[in-house]
Amino acid sequence: MTENGIPAVELDHVTKQFGEFTAVDDLSLSIGENTFFAMLGPSGCGKTTTLRMIGGFEDPTSGTIRLHGDDVTGLKPYRRAVNTVFQSYALFPHMTVAENVAFGLRRQKVDDAEIKRRVGETLELVQLSARGSAKPKQLSGGQQQRVALARALINHPRVLLLDEPLGALDLKLRKEMQIELKRIQQEVGITFIHVTHDQEEAMTMADSIAVMNHGRIERLGSPSEIYEDPRTPFVAGFLGASNLMHGTVSGNDVGLPNGAVIRLTDHQAARCNGHREVQIGVRPEKLSFYGRGTSENTPANRLTGVIADASFLGTSTQYLVEVPGIGQVAVVEQNLGEIHAPGEEVVVAWKPEHTFVVE
Amino acid sequence: MTTTLHEPELARLARRRAMVPYLLLLPGMAWLFAFFLVPILRLIGVSLQSGIYPNYEFTWQWDNYARLWTQYGGQVWNSLRFAFIATVICLVLAYPLAYFIAFRGGRWKNFLLVLLLMPFLMPFLLRTLSWKIILADEGLVVGTLKSIGLLGPNATLLATSVSVIAGIAYNFLPFMALPIYVSLEKLDRSLIEAATDLYARPTEAFRKVTLPLSMPGVVAGTLLTFIPAVGDYVNVLLLGSPNEFMIGNVIQSRFLNVLDYPVAAALSFTLMAVIVLMLIPYVRATGTDDLVA
Repeated sequence: MTENGIPAVELDHVTKQFGEFTAVDDLSLSIGENTFFAMLGPSGCGKTTTLRMIGGFEDPTSGTIRLHGDDVTGLKPYRRAVNTVFQSYALFPHMTVAENVAFGLRRQKVDDAEIKRRVGETLELVQLSARGSAKPKQLSGGQQQRVALARALINHPRVLLLDEPLGALDLKLRKEMQIELKRIQQEVGITFIHVTHDQEEAMTMADSIAVMNHGRIERLGSPSEIYEDPRTPFVAGFLGASNLMHGTVSGNDVGLPNGAVIRLTDHQAARCNGHREVQIGVRPEKLSFYGRGTSENTPANRLTGVIADASFLGTSTQYLVEVPGIGQVAVVEQNLGEIHAPGEEVVVAWKPEHTFVVE
Repeated sequence: MTTTLHEPELARLARRRAMVPYLLLLPGMAWLFAFFLVPILRLIGVSLQSGIYPNYEFTWQWDNYARLWTQYGGQVWNSLRFAFIATVICLVLAYPLAYFIAFRGGRWKNFLLVLLLMPFLMPFLLRTLSWKIILADEGLVVGTLKSIGLLGPNATLLATSVSVIAGIAYNFLPFMALPIYVSLEKLDRSLIEAATDLYARPTEAFRKVTLPLSMPGVVAGTLLTFIPAVGDYVNVLLLGSPNEFMIGNVIQSRFLNVLDYPVAAALSFTLMAVIVLMLIPYVRATGTDDLVA
């Protein structure tokens, strides 16, 4: 947020329907100034449609969109101080890199000397100074990506929209570009709205993430907030892996079908608000193995089971533990000492503060 | 292949793979050799003969070539003029038509394309003859134009350059529309979105992105229209009068009526050369690399 508190982008009860299909369903959202904001979700969740409505490529069926407090609903893209990096880059194939980058300034009738200066400056920002006279076809995927970025940023938009910008790159390049994008966002200091289906990408770059499903926002918050307390089974499953279990609440305790009792924090217990039957979850890396003889050092939440499978992943090992009455529980342990073998009977335990309740 | 190959075998495979493009070219090349190159050389040979049918002999009769300018200048001028005007008319009609089908056609796209090609299900002669009825002296078009004062009371359209150009434009319209349609259809829509995102108004987006990227279709369409239109003679025969005779009519009558093969051959060859010479700068200017890309 800026000092005066006006958000960069504000969606107010926005709905978009395509015929019978509701792509975005009564969505309200406010994105602060100078944030890296990610919209994360599976395909068809409405994230791209939301982005396209902010850009002006689609008009909402109902609702209001504001940019820095001004109502822009129904305004054409060329009247919005917003620029987009398209999924397939959409570089103009008949123009050189420099002409592509200068396109927006030319349309705004900026004078030639100024255009020349800013094209040079922006190509430098994306480290492509030497390729100004090349055609897009002659560049690699990563370079084309950076041209698309430069072409948008040169206009000094107040909000930059990125539609799965890294989707077409290979893994190594994608990692590099994630860091690069974050650096550029901090350097230019504007709001980036990034649409992606890659949870790791969203968590690496974003200050704030909206997890979307069926045209609605399921969870909104910082990456760590969302990860540690996903609140819904969908978010728990979409962002990283989770062990989810059904149980019955009484006070701060949850009774599981196999008789084990799991302890919740006061905060999580309050979230059950009167429900008896709940689903609780815990991330696999929060679980540890303990021998049969438990001591006072063993965390309070415990399950007993038999290791069904162990997969060595390099830095860690992933185990599947068969717990009678509950099913398989995934455990990820750092490879510090011994590696357990399938068939071994174990106690897995975790701390109450690592338990979350999902609705 | 699961077994490992020895080096000589690998080399043989590589050699064989290198041969494939040539083998694939072979039938086409053979066809062009037999039915294009050989006849062209023979045409050149005939064009330098002299004499009276059927006794021609090869005498390096260069004079045959001069006839195009000395004797048939008017017909050459008619050919180029009519073909040029008809090509411009086709372009003006076909571009918006192709644009509409490609961008606004939606689920009607295929239906609209069939409509565009529908007249071609009718024989060429019937199609052209029907213009005789449309443009007839007592017909609807002439009557209407007279009543609103665009035509004088004694004016006609049939047997004038107007009817010939109308016939040519009508017959070649799909050859212009289809290549333009294809180039617009395959144009990535996100490029137009990107242009409007970068502050281009719709007209600017068209001028800076859509039009330049559809130029390969425009070039292909104008070539497919202009080249056959220059050599056309049927439209003149059916809709024109001897005043509108084009070079095609001369060649046809030299070959089939007068049986003056050498002059007919010289005219044919010169016409071809003139068209090629005219089109080289055009294709250069509009970008050949996009045409083949």
